[in-house]
Amino acid sequence: MPDSLSAALATLRRRYGPQALRRGDQQEAAERWPTGIPILDGVLMPGGLPRGRITVLAASSSRGPSGRLTLLQSLVALASRSRDVGYVDLAGTLDPGFLADLGADLHACLVLTPGHDRWERGLAMARTLTGAGMPWMGVALGEQDRPRTALWEHALAAFAETVSKRGAVGVIAAPAPLAAPLAHASSLTLTCAAAGWQRAHGDVTGLRVRVTTTKSKVGAPGAEAMLLLRYPRPYAVAEVLGLPSVVAPALSIAETEPMPAAAVAPG
Amino acid sequence: MRILCALHAHLGLVTALQRFPELHGEPVIVGGAPELRLPVVAASAAARAAGVRPGQPLRQAQQLCPAAAFVPIDPAAVTRLREAVCATLLRLAPAVEVGDDEVFCDISGRHVQHLDEAAWAAAIARALDAVLGAGSPAVGMAGSRFVARMAAMRSGPGRIRRVRPAEEAAFLAPLPLEVLPIDPAMAARLAAFGLDCLGAVAGLSPADLQRQFGPEGIRLHRLVRGEETDGVHVEPAAQMWSERLVLAGPVGDLEVLLQAARHCTETLGARLVERGLAAATVTLEYEVEESVPIAVAEVAPAPAGNVPEAWTVVLGLLGRLQPPGPVTAVRVEVAQLEPAGGRQTDLLRPGDSARDAVALAAGRLRARFGEAAVRRPRLALDPGDLPERRYVWEAPVVAAAS
Repeated sequence: MPDSLSAALATLRRRYGPQALRRGDQQEAAERWPTGIPILDGVLMPGGLPRGRITVLAASSSRGPSGRLTLLQSLVALASRSRDVGYVDLAGTLDPGFLADLGADLHACLVLTPGHDRWERGLAMARTLTGAGMPWMGVALGEQDRPRTALWEHALAAFAETVSKRGAVGVIAAPAPLAAPLAHASSLTLTCAAAGWQRAHGDVTGLRVRVTTTKSKVGAPGAEAMLLLRYPRPYAVAEVLGLPSVVAPALSIAETEPMPAAAVAPG
Repeated sequence: MRILCALHAHLGLVTALQRFPELHGEPVIVGGAPELRLPVVAASAAARAAGVRPGQPLRQAQQLCPAAAFVPIDPAAVTRLREAVCATLLRLAPAVEVGDDEVFCDISGRHVQHLDEAAWAAAIARALDAVLGAGSPAVGMAGSRFVARMAAMRSGPGRIRRVRPAEEAAFLAPLPLEVLPIDPAMAARLAAFGLDCLGAVAGLSPADLQRQFGPEGIRLHRLVRGEETDGVHVEPAAQMWSERLVLAGPVGDLEVLLQAARHCTETLGARLVERGLAAATVTLEYEVEESVPIAVAEVAPAPAGNVPEAWTVVLGLLGRLQPPGPVTAVRVEVAQLEPAGGRQTDLLRPGDSARDAVALAAGRLRARFGEAAVRRPRLALDPGDLPERRYVWEAPVVAAAS
């Protein structure tokens, strides 16, 4: 390597930090937040959710449920048992009772409601709290009346930068089709596709979701797994507490039940 | 429990030397004019070398040291200095007791920056020296208040004497009976029994001492074995401060009211910083012309300990308080004051040190975007039948402020 190039690289590292430059064959090192759910920590995102990065839970299709919001709320509930958690409810679907049924410690949850589909405001608020030290931030983006990209992409970039600076965990649940700024800002994108309802005695007890790692800057993409998002029984907090709300199903994909067209589920 | 004792120059003497710096190095006696029938409060090193002791009559002190300068004590200056010492040390220790010539700090546990006990004690001694400017104190550390004081007395200026846990009784054993903080008659009876040191008293059983001295005997037994549990006596902080600004004339312009509230907040914030305190509650009051005053109060998201933190709360109050007529005066009050540096954190939640900052940021967002913008859900005690009644929303306030 010529001396002038070495000097230029040294200058860039000095000015922008050692993480500013890396070789193409080296994977980015990222600290992890283990979720404690084996299939997530072992298959989809080895080690857990990356800290200091944006993770996107994307819907595969704009039609019907995808399970991304339920998965996000399950992760929020898990995180709240050990740390403070912020949840930006831009989708307007959060039910704190459901969060409690998932086993969340509500005292550790801070819910931000910036207004329906005010993405730029929601991301700015998420950035403010993350900058103040919030270690875990979930953002649920709504499906209806998606605002123009130009209005919120700068807020997203600022949020991603703050997450990186504070080493926080940032998870965004995004509707389909995935907006370009979100795809760009994401270090780990998990695409969720509903694969059928889980029933017991004729009642819907959960949603089976096929999750694919479509992008990963912190590991190898392409991993795929089936999750069962089991809906907790309402008014049974004590029973749900401590149980994993996301588990690997025993069923294979071929055995799943087709999705009924009129069914509605959270997420 | 671990307690630190630091012996320093008497606060009355320090304030006297601050008032009259030309007396540095001279024999100085604090207490008043020698013709007054008052005792000596404090004496400088030169006066003590001449035999002057605190408690002596001033007239006797004059006979012992005729060249001494006699200075009256300034109680207000001593109080200010004591508060400054307290504020400084509360940044280093969770519980502080500031006496006239000694300081006790609770150093149980481990300091986040000064991991070693000796380093922690050195930091406290340096801070004390910086605020008093009267030379390095003599420091002692032990498991009880009495032993820590004895260790400090047997240390020297600028030195730290540490009595390790379980070594208190051995440390006290050779000390004479005169050091015991007990009734002189009781000390005389102990001497009459032929007991000449604390180790000899410690050899007696608690039952023997109780038979001789009653309940005081049990206390004496604990004292001489270094097992007394009398910890640091923390002085309760002031409960409320307020700042009132009378306007030049009745005013209806909100911008003027904002500037007046800002002025009051800056004054109070500076006092909070100076004293090392934080306010849990902030109140804004308008005195309205020809009407009763109106006020609104709020529990701060996190205890407000400086101007920006207090101003965030006052800004929210300004938006809520609509004067019904011209305002003649603005008053800002901070209440439920507590030491800013000694807040309890949640031991079981990692990253908890940032909770105050998060709560403050949430408070700013609420002030800007409305109270519904940032909330914390809580399960309702009596949820009823409807799912939406299972939870209630509440403001994100950290536990220390509630």
